[in-house]
Amino acid sequence: MVITIASGKGGTGKTTIAANLAYVIAEKHPQVTWLVDCDVEAPNAAIFLNPELSARKAVERQLPVINPYECTACGECVRACEYNALALAGGKVLFFKELCHACGSCTLICPEDAISETAEQVGMLEQGRSGNLRFAQGTLEVGFSSPTPVIRSLKKWVLPENRKGVFILDSSPGASCPVVETLRGSDFALFVTEPTPFGLHDLKVVVELNRKEFQLPAGIVINKSGEEDTLIEKHAQAQGLPVLMRIPLSRRLAEAYSSGKLLVKEEPALKEKITRLFKTIQGRTKEEAVWKRS
Amino acid sequence: MKIAISLEENKGLESKASTIFGRCPHFMLIETDSMAFEIKENPARQATGGAGIQAAQFILDEGAQAVISGNLGPKAFSVLSAGGIAAYQHNGGSAQEVLKAQQTDTLECLIAPSADAHSGNK
Repeated sequence: MVITIASGKGGTGKTTIAANLAYVIAEKHPQVTWLVDCDVEAPNAAIFLNPELSARKAVERQLPVINPYECTACGECVRACEYNALALAGGKVLFFKELCHACGSCTLICPEDAISETAEQVGMLEQGRSGNLRFAQGTLEVGFSSPTPVIRSLKKWVLPENRKGVFILDSSPGASCPVVETLRGSDFALFVTEPTPFGLHDLKVVVELNRKEFQLPAGIVINKSGEEDTLIEKHAQAQGLPVLMRIPLSRRLAEAYSSGKLLVKEEPALKEKITRLFKTIQGRTKEEAVWKRS
Repeated sequence: MKIAISLEENKGLESKASTIFGRCPHFMLIETDSMAFEIKENPARQATGGAGIQAAQFILDEGAQAVISGNLGPKAFSVLSAGGIAAYQHNGGSAQEVLKAQQTDTLECLIAPSADAHSGNK
């Protein structure tokens, strides 16, 4: 089972929920529960878990190299490039690396076979363990703007084809390509939000993304919950999304968080809540599976 | 000589010359001998990325030998210079006015980009 934690707004508690949820599940399902930090631009879930990292793998992309002796300046590659990474000027093809998406179209289309490819490292994947919990993360190289290839490689590296195990994917904030790439192929989307106008605004965007693109069964966690919860509840109700859990706004929890501690270790009541949350998610994904078959 | 001028609008010779290059709405392509011109939409105007490169490629493909624009970013500049196209920087005015300034040698011919990448996005 693959559960993606998303939020829209940053700082709502995605990583906190992901780490605590994974920790609780791993107690029940040791060695087959994974926390996968897909926020490759700033992975930080490891702070809560202090995993021992035992394996690393580089993520590379293939860039075109144009052989000037074979190139006849026909311009086919320039016309094939969707990203304006190539230009034909003065009888030569110019290549702009920053714009290249490494799609390989130019290499394929070149009628002279004048384009070969060279690997460039764009990120690093790591995996290891923290007690019973397995852990993986991806890191985008500094200076690169596209996190999606790193997320795609990370998921491919960690998720087995049969999906046996429980995989908690901690996504980046927002609702753009990296979040789409993380949600893709998941069984459940858990949206962590906070009862503020900003939390609501960005929640709407990511809920809409799921509705239009994936239709995953989904639920909401209200973090820093309090008197303003109706703000989120109204939208949840209108969208037919259940509020599955609330974590109250509490100084004690905030202090535990800011010193890098898992909240479930500090607050037994929260551990029970999270155990129930996982059961509800299991129930909802099964419901959905039955509904999809019929 | 055929010259390309980046334009803010499509109003013939009175069109306001654009301060930006890659994402300007229109280009005027004008033959300086006959003053015959046409105004074409910039195909790169809505590009998700690489607008300067695409616009420069467009001008090369249209066979212009010089460009007049308010600014020119680094990628557009490298495509134009690789294509052997001279780029002139105007200080505002209509297409007619900036062309006249170019013809009377009062415009600066750029030897380096005049703006940072993505300046036209701001």
